[in-house]
Amino acid sequence: MNIVIGLINGMISSATPILLAALGGALTFYAGIFNIAMEGMMLGGAFFGMLGSYYFHSWPVGILFAILGAILMALIFILFAVVLKMDEFITGIGLNLFSAGATTYMLRQIFKVKGAFSSPEIVPIPNLDIPLIKNIPVIGDILSGHNLIVYLTIVVVLLTAYLVFKTRFGLRLRAAGYNRTCLDTSGVSANRIRIASLLLCGVLCGLAGAYLSLGYVTLFSEGMSAGRGWISLAAVILVSGNPAGLTLISLLFGFTDGLGLYLQKTLPSQFTSMVPYVATLVALFVYSVRTKKKQIA
Amino acid sequence: MKRKFLVNIVGVLLAFLLGAVVMLVQGYNPLDTYYQLFAYSLAPGKITYTLSKSVPLILTGLSASVAFASGPVNLGQPGQLLMGALLATIGGLYVNLPPLLMVPFLLILAMLGGALWSGVAAMLKYWFNMSEFITTLMLNMIADFFTYWAINYPFFEKNSNFPQTPLIAQSGWMPVWGNLNSSVIVMILAFVVVWFIMNRSTAGYEWRLSGQNSLFSRLGGVNVNKNYIVVMLLTGALAGLAGGLVVMAGPHRFIKDIGANYAWDGVMIAMVANSDILLTLIFGFFFSILQTGSVGMELITAVPKELIEVLQAVIVLIVVAGRGYFESLFAKLEARRKMKEITV
Repeated sequence: MNIVIGLINGMISSATPILLAALGGALTFYAGIFNIAMEGMMLGGAFFGMLGSYYFHSWPVGILFAILGAILMALIFILFAVVLKMDEFITGIGLNLFSAGATTYMLRQIFKVKGAFSSPEIVPIPNLDIPLIKNIPVIGDILSGHNLIVYLTIVVVLLTAYLVFKTRFGLRLRAAGYNRTCLDTSGVSANRIRIASLLLCGVLCGLAGAYLSLGYVTLFSEGMSAGRGWISLAAVILVSGNPAGLTLISLLFGFTDGLGLYLQKTLPSQFTSMVPYVATLVALFVYSVRTKKKQIA
Repeated sequence: MKRKFLVNIVGVLLAFLLGAVVMLVQGYNPLDTYYQLFAYSLAPGKITYTLSKSVPLILTGLSASVAFASGPVNLGQPGQLLMGALLATIGGLYVNLPPLLMVPFLLILAMLGGALWSGVAAMLKYWFNMSEFITTLMLNMIADFFTYWAINYPFFEKNSNFPQTPLIAQSGWMPVWGNLNSSVIVMILAFVVVWFIMNRSTAGYEWRLSGQNSLFSRLGGVNVNKNYIVVMLLTGALAGLAGGLVVMAGPHRFIKDIGANYAWDGVMIAMVANSDILLTLIFGFFFSILQTGSVGMELITAVPKELIEVLQAVIVLIVVAGRGYFESLFAKLEARRKMKEITV
């Protein structure tokens, strides 16, 4: 029983950053932007989140800084891809590498360390115990005691679904993706919508980053986003951005991640670390086989 | 042609200017810093070293350039480099031939390793229509962990306190003259072959055509699917070759983090060079100047060498954005001139 509870909790905690970044990616996906910069935005968020929490000894400031840091990355993306009309793919790759370089440089310059920085001065984001529910045996162990960001993510999923499908902004967002000329000619600037979607993506990636450096662990290490941004991009492509689908896919990835940790007793850790990436390939494989069948039928 | 070079140079200068502002803000002297950077990597005895260091950058850059120019978004250079390095290392551990045979043998193994890994992605695309863009990225992570496992367990050097393999047979070491490593010769050969294929052969013409417009070239009778596989295998082989040469020229064994950031730098080089083969060579050497010089810069001026990583990304963003901007500007000027001719 304990193993099952451990697996479920592991699944939830490793799904959280992927889901947050994927929701951000979904917003830009609907707006018709080929946004592959989630990795860089998340990394920027993780660094600035740690920075804010360290200097102000407060996790809310940490979250705020994480969001601002990720928005900074989003602004660079906007400058090059939207304002200067540069290729989105090149901008994304450039921004990811810029983010990796800049966080490494600042880590060296501000904290005088290479590799990773941890300190008792960094205040982590607290875990929440839900009253009443936490006392129920099994269910309490699963539902209660997660990080604040985990609960926030549930809210974000609902909000994103509402925003995209039930509001005027969401309609315009999808219109920007379907046919931007049509949107432009109806008097709404498609570029403005695209910029808004990128900024929102920055906010969500910032939350994901804060979760990495202030929730999952309490430290910052170089390249700590470790491909999660890419996995979230794969998830967005798999379900065409649908928030409910993203939740399921992220939980699936989270599960394989937790499973990897559990398998460490029997397999070398290098193989168990591969599991989420192999799972992504398998998911893409299943998806492509299914689309093929649909096309034939 | 002249205009193309001008745009690149202006872009690089703008990026340097931005870097100078960053340094000024932090209280460093930018002029002195840049001087030390270039003085270190271009000093008479050092330039051959800089050239040797450019080998993996240029080879992975060529790999990315050929891929991007021909259509496939092969971003798997990091994984392909590692697999090439691993296969060359294994060959060097278990086989011992005279140097004249050993070096080509290991280089072929390295290329096979890289082509094998890009071949996996090509196969997934060919049979299952899975985008190579995501699969190569995932294969990078898998190759990373796989090679790390390989040097920790089956090929681990006994009694070593660091994840690494034993040294490969000495006959497989690339000869060295002073600071110049003979891997430069292999790199130049690879460059000539790639340049010839891309610019002077039917295959290269077809590839570039498919890269510009896949549908058009298919209607024109180009076997797009076959070309896709060939390009993926070739670009994988180039990245693998880079990995093999890193092992054979440098530590002569596979140690942890041997791939460094070469392959991602190669991708950046291809982007800033706009997938042009000659520009890839030039920018590859230029990035090597920056990276080699960053060590000297840190020694003398105390500016951390990580600044160069940031500068590289800024150069890519500014040069590529600038290229698009200038091109539309020139097009506008051209149109205005023609308008005048008509009205007069």
